[in-house]
Amino acid sequence: MSRVITITSGKGGVGKTTSTANLGTALAMQGAKVAVVDADIGLRNLDVVMGLENRIVYDLVDVVEGRCRLRQALIKDKHFSDLYLLPAAQTRDKDAVGPDDMIALANQLRTEFDYVIIDSPAGIEGGFRNAIAGADEVLIVTTPEVSAVRDADRIIGLVEAAEKGSPQLIINRIKPRMVNRGDMMSTEDVLQILAIDLIGAIPDDETIVTSTNRGEVAVLDRASRAGRAFSDVARRIAGEQVPMPTLEDEQGVFDRLFGMLARRPRGSER
Amino acid sequence: MATNLLAIKGSRDGLRLVLDAAAPWDAVVQGLEAQLERGSAFFHGARITVELGERDIGDDELGQMLAVLRRHRIEAAGLASRSRSSRDTARSAGVAVRAMPRVPTGDRDDRNDAWLVRRTIRSGQVVRHHGNLTIVGDINAGSEVVASGSIIVWGRVRGVVHAGALGDSSCFIGALSLNPPRLGIGDVLSVARGDRSRSHPEVAQVIDGAIVFGAWETTRLR
Repeated sequence: MSRVITITSGKGGVGKTTSTANLGTALAMQGAKVAVVDADIGLRNLDVVMGLENRIVYDLVDVVEGRCRLRQALIKDKHFSDLYLLPAAQTRDKDAVGPDDMIALANQLRTEFDYVIIDSPAGIEGGFRNAIAGADEVLIVTTPEVSAVRDADRIIGLVEAAEKGSPQLIINRIKPRMVNRGDMMSTEDVLQILAIDLIGAIPDDETIVTSTNRGEVAVLDRASRAGRAFSDVARRIAGEQVPMPTLEDEQGVFDRLFGMLARRPRGSER
Repeated sequence: MATNLLAIKGSRDGLRLVLDAAAPWDAVVQGLEAQLERGSAFFHGARITVELGERDIGDDELGQMLAVLRRHRIEAAGLASRSRSSRDTARSAGVAVRAMPRVPTGDRDDRNDAWLVRRTIRSGQVVRHHGNLTIVGDINAGSEVVASGSIIVWGRVRGVVHAGALGDSSCFIGALSLNPPRLGIGDVLSVARGDRSRSHPEVAQVIDGAIVFGAWETTRLR
């Protein structure tokens, strides 16, 4: 039974595209057939994050408008032969497709893939509505910032109103040291406001920036903490019971060592 | 006198304004204007279905009515009438035609019914009810809850709340934690009380023309 999952957030820049690329890749690593779809028409990004921008011939709008067949627009991933990207059009805007087109497209992809992961544009207008139109489930990405959480709250209301059920939450870019100091909202703070189920807590990780720039997603890098957290989310999506790591685990040995060194001088003065 | 010319009904399927079908049209429009003016805290931004009963109206009358609604920032969600010509007028003006309620609600006082809402009220959402309202869930920042009666929240209030919004300052607001940026009861308004966030159950009510907050355990409702 294949599943169509849309990843959205309301606010821009919180990690929708990074989440889509990583979860799509992680699910393919587990052996599933996966299509990732860039629904951010006019501002396409997913191809760059996956390192596939040079291979685009046709795009989503070409498929919808009948200029090519779906198979011709699907781009095979560099690493996994069962992972495909359907890129967005860059020269068109969000009005080029409608919700009915997206439902038809999702249903077509459903016949060939186990998972269809749709990357939504930011905002609450037409592009967002297109992105969730064909979805069975919705994942909301937020960061532990008041503005991102407020937008996530708004989006959750819209997703519920669209009768997509209660979405699940990914909290991205958590900085455990800032949380410990009380300078950043904790996972619990965010969940208290949003009142939906958590499916992943992703630590802030500089390797995301380098992996995005290189077009190699973080889940391919065993040393990446964010990559490991995304792999866990993918396993939870697939139905596995994977415990949520606590702050202590996320903080890492290196940070803890740093913390000890930083505390010592003050202690020795006493 | 205006209250005889129109009545406010319902909430579950949206608000309805029932206009008297027999009184002279000008008087009805004046009554409408007066009611919306008085209840602006309640009606602002609402979507309302207007019930005309047997009355026949033409383009001019409809235009007049829509102008009054627009001036008060109300969206006409639809028009219900038993008159075919009124329905045709609405259709040609692009106003949705709705069914008249099968059983007239009569003079039953809706205020004695409380509506129970069991969900989180999220940013951007508005809950509006003619009557008393109980919410089981949080009222999040960026949302708005408006009732013509009292409001009880089994949850945290961080959004805007307004009780007695048709002008009844004998209403109250109770919540497990009450931290709205803006709170209104009847015609009395209050803005956020500093940064101090309160986490114990409280009740707000109007005493001597001012909104007074009190701990749940010790407050006696007026």
